[in-house]
Amino acid sequence: MTLAVDVTSRRGAFEVRAAFEAEAGRTVALLGPNGSGKSTLVSTIAGLVPPVEGAITLDEAVLDDPANDVHVQPERRPIGVVFQDLLLFPHLSAMDNAAFPLRARGVTKPEARQRASELLARLGLANRADARPRELSGGEAQRVALARALIVEPALLLLDEPLSALDVAARMRVRELVRDELARFPGVRIIVTHDPVEASILAERLVLLEDGRVTQIGTPEEIRSAPRSRYAADLVGVNAVRGFLEPIGEGTGRLISSEGALVTPWPEWYVEGDVVGIVRPIDVTLGPDRPEGSARNVLFGRVTSVAIEGDRARVRLATAPPLVAEVTLGSVERLGLRSGVEVWASFKAVEVELLPP
Amino acid sequence: MRKNLILATSAVLLLAACSDSNDDETTGTTGAGGGSGGAEAELTVSAASSLTEAFGKIGNAFEAANPDTTVTFNFGPSDGLAGQIDEGAPVDVFASASPTWMDSVQDDGPGVTDRADFAQNRLAIIAPADNPAGIENLDDLTEDGVQLVIAAEGVPAGDYAREIFKNAGISMAALANVVSNEEDVKAVIAKVMSGEADAGIGYVTDVTPDVSDHVTLIPIPDEVNIIATYPIAVVNGSQEADLAQGFVEYVLGDGQQTLAEYGFLPPP
Amino acid sequence: MSLATDSRRSPSTASSPLRRGRIPAGFVVLAALGVALVALPLLGLVLRTPWSRIGEILASETALTALRLSLIVATTSAAISFVLGFPLAWVLVRGTFPGKTLVRAVVILPLVMPPVVAGVGLLAAFGRRSGLVGSWLYDWFGIQLTFTTAAAVLAATFVSFPLAVLALEAGLRGLDERLEDAAATLGASRWYVLRRVTVPLMGPQIAAALVLSWARALGEFGATITFAGNLQGRTQTLPLAVFEQLQTDTDAAFAVSMLLIFLAFAVILGLRGRFLR
Repeated sequence: MTLAVDVTSRRGAFEVRAAFEAEAGRTVALLGPNGSGKSTLVSTIAGLVPPVEGAITLDEAVLDDPANDVHVQPERRPIGVVFQDLLLFPHLSAMDNAAFPLRARGVTKPEARQRASELLARLGLANRADARPRELSGGEAQRVALARALIVEPALLLLDEPLSALDVAARMRVRELVRDELARFPGVRIIVTHDPVEASILAERLVLLEDGRVTQIGTPEEIRSAPRSRYAADLVGVNAVRGFLEPIGEGTGRLISSEGALVTPWPEWYVEGDVVGIVRPIDVTLGPDRPEGSARNVLFGRVTSVAIEGDRARVRLATAPPLVAEVTLGSVERLGLRSGVEVWASFKAVEVELLPP
Repeated sequence: MRKNLILATSAVLLLAACSDSNDDETTGTTGAGGGSGGAEAELTVSAASSLTEAFGKIGNAFEAANPDTTVTFNFGPSDGLAGQIDEGAPVDVFASASPTWMDSVQDDGPGVTDRADFAQNRLAIIAPADNPAGIENLDDLTEDGVQLVIAAEGVPAGDYAREIFKNAGISMAALANVVSNEEDVKAVIAKVMSGEADAGIGYVTDVTPDVSDHVTLIPIPDEVNIIATYPIAVVNGSQEADLAQGFVEYVLGDGQQTLAEYGFLPPP
Repeated sequence: MSLATDSRRSPSTASSPLRRGRIPAGFVVLAALGVALVALPLLGLVLRTPWSRIGEILASETALTALRLSLIVATTSAAISFVLGFPLAWVLVRGTFPGKTLVRAVVILPLVMPPVVAGVGLLAAFGRRSGLVGSWLYDWFGIQLTFTTAAAVLAATFVSFPLAVLALEAGLRGLDERLEDAAATLGASRWYVLRRVTVPLMGPQIAAALVLSWARALGEFGATITFAGNLQGRTQTLPLAVFEQLQTDTDAAFAVSMLLIFLAFAVILGLRGRFLR
């Protein structure tokens, strides 16, 4: 079973354009910062916000095709959604919440309640079946919402920020449970999150969403080793600059981005178009004076933040393009690095690793 | 902007509502104010609704003859007016459409002085101008489906109507056709004028010049008709006893011509 | 929409009791005046009611007939107000169409209209002779609305309809529409969502709408007497009976007034525990 999404969707003034596929058996995570369009995409897949362009299909079934006036109402889609705010029905008990989808489909009350209580028991909520949502803890409410989405055995399970509302302790426990449930769920599984750790643990494939656009799709490992956007790079902790290349002779080139330029080696495979240049923070050298030496990349800028991590420090620089450097604590002291201070940053051309987009 | 408009409109309507007259008893007309200067005397006269037009004219004449006097009328059903007086309303003169309610003020209320009968009135069948139900006499009122409107029991016009039906021997059938008991005779006329009722029982004097184009008057034979006697008196406890007496005398004197103009019969 | 919100459930907060010293000076006095304004006429009525005669008066045919008629008229009116008012409130809260503000103003208008004016308006619309719709009904079908119990219901509904709409609007506005979205994704048809999610969540507001419009319909006088007339058993509701009694037997008027008040009180208090907050 495969869900194919290729849509442009609008909510207010905000537009999301996304194309990806999700197969049964491999959980996909839509990963992106807040405001990147994840919720809009969830609403579109759920059928609440019809796309303006494109199509959504689940195997042969066409769920959305605005060009041909096809839009399957949410209640007719074989989906189960767990919303960011859970949205449990406050006037129903946990059991009746879980039974709701069955009752909505005409299943008799006794049978629906029977199946609901079985599912709740499996999720460890046997003794909370009669509690109202406001009496449940965060983790318990999460599990009720999950039960409610699973009970009709949908073809597609959609979890929107499943762990974000939980405190740290609950998060770890519920994450294990979610992972187990996802593993045993036979259909298409999509989770939506802003937390890369969560995404890496729960999903086999990541779809990175930034500012309404998909910037990268891949396994956690693939993204880690070859981040293709600032966000991905941030996730992984490296510098990434995206732009096009200009040769400047002698096997070197200039990577020109909207935020600045870097000198890089000239790759054989380059013909034209965008590339991503990766610079590891550890390779960026900081100093008080303009460095002399062979380093071809020399930049000057203000420090915007210094974050101590163990015995190292990550220093953000407002250079052109912006960079993160990793230095020792000693260097921080020696250079008097703190917000507002201006420093010189340098690294060699070969220390820029180029990746095709 | 729109919200303000709605608020403003609501405020205007609320103000209009404050002057809403749910009770029919304060449809009085205030006479033109007396001349400037001097101690202004105010006379409050409660009079039966059927006297509205005639007393209005009499009031103006009285004010003209007595400068610095203002006559304020309180028109309504005689039973209601009597009730008000019994409860202590500050009324100087009471003119009733039947002796019953004057008796009530005399016996159960503050009492009266200078009581005298000042007019008589006949009742008639009143139908809309085009007389859709084709009413020609009392018996026609007993036809199936006739929408008949009379005044409520206790209101003189209502009591008289019921007596007339009894006199004509048509009580059961006529009362069965009654669709509404109005609180005073003017309301009966209104329902007939608007065409909602097929017929009503009112006073011949209710067919005033203003009304005559909109209604048809069908006389009731004298043998079964009621001649209503109208008494007038000064209410005891009046602050303007002398002026009140003067008004009563005027009604019994110069006012008789005006009453005759409006169709009233002279007192017995 | 994609802001991570804290959806941890906190126990519903009971309204905090007023803490000493937090009430602005003078408010207590003004509040007491407000209570007095309403309580004094009620107190006056209670004191003047002829309690020794009340059983006999209320058992009279006039009183019982008026009571029965009032209950029928008020309840029918409240039902009509709800059946028409709920969809209207829905359209006003969730729909967009040109002239919506005007429509809303028109619907609220009866609330601020003098009742007698309302009666005149009803005549102008439904009177058999000059009514816009009424004359057509009469000329073509022989249907006359004036002087009927239906007219009393119509008059009562006209004046109490805005109350129902306002209360239902407030209820709909206070709903979290996302709950309805969630229900849809869980397979509920639009009708099922309405029945099992929207209406249950609006319970208190629906009760308020029904109670308010019922109470207003019960007390309607001016429009009824102008449009429907006054006939025992057909159009003489309790307020009309009180008015008529006021002319002749004030004791009876007070007694029947007390009955009206008891009715209203009973409904308001009876529902208070379950629905009204």
